[in-house]
Amino acid sequence: MSLRLYDYELDENGYKVRLALGALGLACETVGVDMVPGAEQTRPPLIDLNPLGTLPILVDGDTVLREAEAILAYLARRYDSAGTWLPQEPVAFGETLMWLAFATRELHAATLARRAALFDLPGDGPALEGRARAAFRVMEDHITLRGFSGLDWFAGTGPTIADLALFPAFALSRDFGIDHEAYPGLRRWSRRVRGLPGFRTMPGIPDYH
Amino acid sequence: MDEPEGWYAVALGADIEPSTSAGTRLFGHELVVWRDAGGAVHVWEDRCPHRGMRLSFGFVRGDHIACLYHGWRYDTAGQCRFIPAHPDLEVSPMIRTRTYPCRERAGLIWVRWGAPAEEAEPAPVAASPLRSLYLEAPAARLAAALGEAGPDGLVRFDLAGSPVLVAVQPLAGEASAAHIVVPDTPEAPEADLGRLAAACVTLRRSIEGAAP
Repeated sequence: MSLRLYDYELDENGYKVRLALGALGLACETVGVDMVPGAEQTRPPLIDLNPLGTLPILVDGDTVLREAEAILAYLARRYDSAGTWLPQEPVAFGETLMWLAFATRELHAATLARRAALFDLPGDGPALEGRARAAFRVMEDHITLRGFSGLDWFAGTGPTIADLALFPAFALSRDFGIDHEAYPGLRRWSRRVRGLPGFRTMPGIPDYH
Repeated sequence: MDEPEGWYAVALGADIEPSTSAGTRLFGHELVVWRDAGGAVHVWEDRCPHRGMRLSFGFVRGDHIACLYHGWRYDTAGQCRFIPAHPDLEVSPMIRTRTYPCRERAGLIWVRWGAPAEEAEPAPVAASPLRSLYLEAPAARLAAALGEAGPDGLVRFDLAGSPVLVAVQPLAGEASAAHIVVPDTPEAPEADLGRLAAACVTLRRSIEGAAP
């Protein structure tokens, strides 16, 4: 096994993959990419690895994958021998995929809002912020309701890659002006994520709390 | 914004775990609510006197809260006790944060706003935490939908056929929170909390959708 990750340290999608590598205890060579301001991922040689010109990109032998959520699913299926991070059990599996879709679609607004705020990239700040708040509210309602059934995580009964895919947008939301005031359930869930073995931080996420 | 003095709930006690902090607002003023390792709660102005950083971004260690910027540490009286960049310095008593009287009652954390209270502390209420609802609606609209609070700050409300207690927190302008607890009674089954928590979502939709 020799994993290589093309990544930009401030990118929350790359951070999702770093969280999974940590959780699974996997060694990985990281290739730093100048995403801002260089947009190096949109030019050769990286554009030949991923024609979409996006990060992160994971290379594992002959396998080349893009899309953080797909990379999480691959890493879990391939290297999590206990099979808990991407559960086999049908309901937990369905729930995990449902929240992975949420992380790529609803939370994309949070990604764009953060890029607009941090990197001065174009984006309608207030509209994106409103969509991010709406998404966080859905998450808050979900995790709060599950708490009454004794369930601490987004899908299934234990932590899954859904939690890892959802965590960065919320944990980094202060970067684009959304405080954690209105999300007590997500605050407590974040604390559980931080307590997972192998948890890693990134700039904007202090390593204590 | 008019700021009537009194006791205001700012969180469910259960949502501020030992050794954690959270930022909130009351009438637009930023507050940090934190619980020390021994379990005592504190409500302060959310501002480090050094560079104005929000203390709610910081971290709790033992009975101190520390600022994220430069690690200045404050004791439970709001007095700065330690400055990492000057470890041998005896910190001036002038370096302190603004603290507010606070207490826990009915499963909620309350802060005293305005002049210190003269009145006797109200009788304790045994209640289980339900949830805090954060609404895009002014506090007045919550009061109109829920009813007026009693002298102890709690609204007696019927939520989907069950009695609950609600404390309204005016956050700022168009934002407010409703902290909801269920009074403990022998006949109220624990499993009912999930049903009531779901009913909270319906309640939020109805209040936010109500005409201003």
